[in-house]
Amino acid sequence: MALLAPWAVTACDIDPPARSDGSTDSEPPPPEDSEHVTAVVVALVRARSVVEAATLSVPGLTPVLEPVATAHAAHLEVLAGAVPDADVPTTAPPRVPADRARALAAVRRSEQRLLREVRARCVAAASGDLARVLASVAASTAQHGAALADPPAGGDVT
Amino acid sequence: MSVLDALQATLADEHAALYTYGVLGARTSQASSPALFETLTAGYRRHRARRDQLQLMVRDAGGDPVAAEPAYDLDGSLLRPPQLERAAADLEASSVEMLLALVAQSTGAVREWALTEATWSAVHRLRLGEVAETWPGAPELDRA
Repeated sequence: MALLAPWAVTACDIDPPARSDGSTDSEPPPPEDSEHVTAVVVALVRARSVVEAATLSVPGLTPVLEPVATAHAAHLEVLAGAVPDADVPTTAPPRVPADRARALAAVRRSEQRLLREVRARCVAAASGDLARVLASVAASTAQHGAALADPPAGGDVT
Repeated sequence: MSVLDALQATLADEHAALYTYGVLGARTSQASSPALFETLTAGYRRHRARRDQLQLMVRDAGGDPVAAEPAYDLDGSLLRPPQLERAAADLEASSVEMLLALVAQSTGAVREWALTEATWSAVHRLRLGEVAETWPGAPELDRA
């Protein structure tokens, strides 16, 4: 479900689990958090475009990169609705070498860049609820980056 | 919940995690399962450092660090390496969730530290045989 505004993010999809006393925090986040959400959405869109370009350049990477693409899509689903369409970038797709190892390296660098942006925005967020969501995005991004760098047995990514 | 309350809750969780890692490590043969032993040892060391740091943070916040319980409930049937590995992975999943709660309740250096530790635990789960997730520590967001 796409969201409509930053305040809706906290009021709906990214609420933490109900507390033990049954209360919930329904206070909307400060307006300055819109900047952080937009920055993360921009970074996610950029990272998604790198994965798409890598998949187009080296179709054999599709099964390897599918979990990364799935995570990007889920993260964007929660966050992108809070960003005005005009703020979402429509940059030209990046060029990724048609070489498996180099394409994978490009994705790894892109994920590291995404992780740095999400971490910075998490720390800077005024809303604790938003910070928690961004911390989960950061942890997921770190996991996927680690999985690409050190694939499980049988997962040929070289 | 105040920052101090969140720090104390995280510290209490770390006491339990450290106890659990100690038991899991004691049940793991370094000779027959060297990789698992190494992974569990890395987890134990990280959580020990995390506990120590949390005790400092609690004191900095004006609190008296919560003490560890004498013992914690642990499934006595966890004996085979896959079971031990899974138990450690589950422990790390709980740690991520607890640390994300601390992220939500804190700001500045405490939040950044909690974020770093949550990320470490999430990645450590991969070393324990788990796969990368979409919403580590925030399962209510995972609609898959």
